[in-house]
Amino acid sequence: MSYDVIVVGTGVAGLAAAVRLAEDGARVLVLAKGIGATHLTGATVDVLGYDPERVEAPGDALGRLVAAQPGHPYARVGAEAVGEALAWLRAQVAASPFAPYAYEGGLERNHLLPTAVGAPKPTAMAPRTMLAGDLRAGGAPICIAGIRRLKDFHPLLCAENIAAATGTEARGVELDLPLTGRADENAQGLARQLEDPVVRGALVQQLANTLRVGERVGLPAVLGLGDPHAVWSDLEHRLGRPVFEIPTLPPSVPGMRLYTILRAALRRAGGRQVIGPEVVGPVAAGARLEGLRVRVGKREEVRRAGHVVLATGGFASGGLQLDSRWRARDAALGLPLAGVPEPGELRFTPRYFEDQPMARAGIAVDDELRPLGADGEPSYENVRVAGASIAGAAPWKEKSGEGISLATGLRAAGLILHATRTAAAPAAGATMEAP
Amino acid sequence: MTTLQADVLVIGGGATGAGVAWDCALRGYDTVLVDRRDLAEGTSGRFHGLLHSGGRYVVKDPDAAVECVEENAIVRRVAADAVEDTGGLFVSTPGDDLAYGDRFLEGCRASHLPVEEIGVAEALRREPLLNPGITRAFVVPDASVDVWKLVWALADGAAAHGARVLTYHRVVGIRRDGDEVCGARLRNELSGEEVDVEAAFTINASGAWAAEVAEMAGCEGIHVAPGKGIMIAMNHRLVNTVVNRLVMPADGDILVPIRTVSVIGTTDIRSRHADELPVTQEEVDQMLDDGDRLVPGLRSARALRVWAGVRPLFEDKKTGETDSTRDVSRSHAMLDHLERDGLRRFLTITGGKLTTYRLMAKDIVDAMVRQRGEARPCRTAETPLPGSEEGRPYRLGVRLRAREDELRSEQIICECELVGRRRLEDAMRRRGTANLDDIRRNLRLGMGPCQGGFCMYRAAGILHGIGRMDGPRATGSLRHFLQERWKGMWPVLYGDQLRQARLDDWIFQGLLDVEHVPADTNGLPAPVDAELEATPLL
Repeated sequence: MSYDVIVVGTGVAGLAAAVRLAEDGARVLVLAKGIGATHLTGATVDVLGYDPERVEAPGDALGRLVAAQPGHPYARVGAEAVGEALAWLRAQVAASPFAPYAYEGGLERNHLLPTAVGAPKPTAMAPRTMLAGDLRAGGAPICIAGIRRLKDFHPLLCAENIAAATGTEARGVELDLPLTGRADENAQGLARQLEDPVVRGALVQQLANTLRVGERVGLPAVLGLGDPHAVWSDLEHRLGRPVFEIPTLPPSVPGMRLYTILRAALRRAGGRQVIGPEVVGPVAAGARLEGLRVRVGKREEVRRAGHVVLATGGFASGGLQLDSRWRARDAALGLPLAGVPEPGELRFTPRYFEDQPMARAGIAVDDELRPLGADGEPSYENVRVAGASIAGAAPWKEKSGEGISLATGLRAAGLILHATRTAAAPAAGATMEAP
Repeated sequence: MTTLQADVLVIGGGATGAGVAWDCALRGYDTVLVDRRDLAEGTSGRFHGLLHSGGRYVVKDPDAAVECVEENAIVRRVAADAVEDTGGLFVSTPGDDLAYGDRFLEGCRASHLPVEEIGVAEALRREPLLNPGITRAFVVPDASVDVWKLVWALADGAAAHGARVLTYHRVVGIRRDGDEVCGARLRNELSGEEVDVEAAFTINASGAWAAEVAEMAGCEGIHVAPGKGIMIAMNHRLVNTVVNRLVMPADGDILVPIRTVSVIGTTDIRSRHADELPVTQEEVDQMLDDGDRLVPGLRSARALRVWAGVRPLFEDKKTGETDSTRDVSRSHAMLDHLERDGLRRFLTITGGKLTTYRLMAKDIVDAMVRQRGEARPCRTAETPLPGSEEGRPYRLGVRLRAREDELRSEQIICECELVGRRRLEDAMRRRGTANLDDIRRNLRLGMGPCQGGFCMYRAAGILHGIGRMDGPRATGSLRHFLQERWKGMWPVLYGDQLRQARLDDWIFQGLLDVEHVPADTNGLPAPVDAELEATPLL
């Protein structure tokens, strides 16, 4: 089987690119060493939360950022593409098997959603199951309810910090649910157990005894994996008040849902995904990438494709690497990285919350998202880079990770579709056939 | 102001000071032990964890070797719970002077150090990651020691005999009455409150800071040379035996397996002041290269954390300065201020090494007993510390075994170091501290590969839950911890540990956004300024 496009990496950027390509008829293979970083994210779509002050209107702030930081990934795609990317994801979720589970929001106003430590985090778009937690303009008092079995969410701390940070009235309670298994349960296991109406019944009963008039209820984001809308709406209905989820420490249940949604879309569109193989190097012919050297178990093989989307993530995902002699490269193709401080310069500073000099290191790209070599010229004309591997952003400081991944992933797909259409005008698909 | 009365005030809560307090308490003295920070946060907490067999000193300093041989045997007995009987190897790496091995063997015999030469093949069988090019190997009874466990056992033991232990209490003045020292004035570093200790006798066991404390009593001219050594904790037990390079003591020639990690050490650079210990990139690089000689591939293994400790090496002004602090005698220095300065009821002990902490304590307390004209014999060589009554050494894996029995009933808060929720809550209650870094040293919470990435949010939540402290204070503790841990991480961020650090950033900045929660750091120790200055890398 030959492919038009191989997408390396299966996080938000890679999956978005793959779905977009497959929906347009391209034969797409997603190769990934492991499950992507979706399982780490809170699955909110953070576009721009701090710049460096808190951002209220991400659309406006994006325009300013693109002008002020020409080296930022958003400057490669432009603010408009970000808005389109959000609309695209909303549509994907609406068409998913989880519907009416939905994503809501856009570039007009950031939501302020509480984190598990009670910080009001600005985010452009989020699952509907989280939105009742919005902390803008005070709002109804909040009861944060934790589940004692879950060590990855601490409701009392969360509630008190919400109150201290925003002035919203908030208190925390801990519930003991009749759960099976060990004393330790992570978010994923709890999400499975909460699909059981009996467990939910106990939760409702315990909460009903403590809730006060007018309170909304915040719960750790464990409200179901198989049919989250049903679990969430059932709780809202039975408690008779708004209920919202708050992301926990990984593994992230809403992140898994997002992964499931995008993977299902890929399957529906005829794309293929293989988890396990590791891309270890390029097969190059001048300015074109002919294929990828892929390690499968102990075997190494060559996979050929007309185009490649490199969406392997940043240092956290292993997409970028730095060795003890401070040599930095991308792990899959060995591309050089930009933004790495020179020998003798500080790579990190001793103050944790300062901007770290290494934070923005990554693969430099041109406006076509092609990787740039040390000479400033594209290394390969048929490789596009998407997501956290691109240089120039500080996603966790800015709260911009998902926005960058979505926008660059979809742009990479769009550029490839455009290139193949142009090239294939005389004979459709001719350039894409693997030898 | 609070005033405390005591027979003995011990200044300095490292292994020596805690050992002195334990020794005094066992001899029936009412004792107060004070430190400006937490226990074992100075030199003691910043060493490689090696309980010397003496092998390192047999050629260069036979007296120190004999001390080590004797004390090693005693510490294994009385502090068994803090000691892992790893055994030790001395190996010649390619290019090392082969004749040194013969001098080593001779020295071992002269110092009565049990030693056995084994074949290279046997050494490699025992430690498969060792450099296959080694040419000679000797087995000695080195061991590794968990210093926090040791020092806390000493302090707890002393407390069980009535001693009072005041951490975060800085000595701001020595009380004098004519030619007698009669205690000290302390300042609580967290609350600012002042405390007077009226003590019949004062022992200065403040190690690298001994000269400053002595000066407060008016004793001039003492010099304690701060010899800086850096150490790097590697993520795995690259070896299960202490591995020493068979050369005259040099840089990067010891690899110590301790708990779940191994520590490569150390360097020896004279530093300006004991509180200024920057770690430079060059030192890290040198250490990794040196480690690679012992265990090839160490450079590509994962480094968790780097720290610098300072050896308290006593110098008499009369002998003049030396370039390397290693040339200064390792044997400890006792100063009788009555002889030296005409000052009664005041003694200073400094220098020495962790392995001989007990001997140092004994010597100085003996000196006090003599000056007081009493006869109270030392009992520390026979009396086991709390937790070591059965004399069974610590074994890697005991906690895993204990945890396996509890998995259905107990949450594990720190997966790397297997710290359960009950133990954590107990420690938080017992210590009554808001400082997660104190808890880290007590339980090894957050000392594993993720360096607190997963457990510290949990710990902050639990601290808030049980202490009913307000949210901003618990968040302050979390932020304080993140800064403390970063201090040891940033100079060694490469490879998989960089990946881990970025994942932790993802959690703390991306997912939790702890930066934008109100945080109250009152009651937490301020970071040392020098540690927050960016240091040149090359």
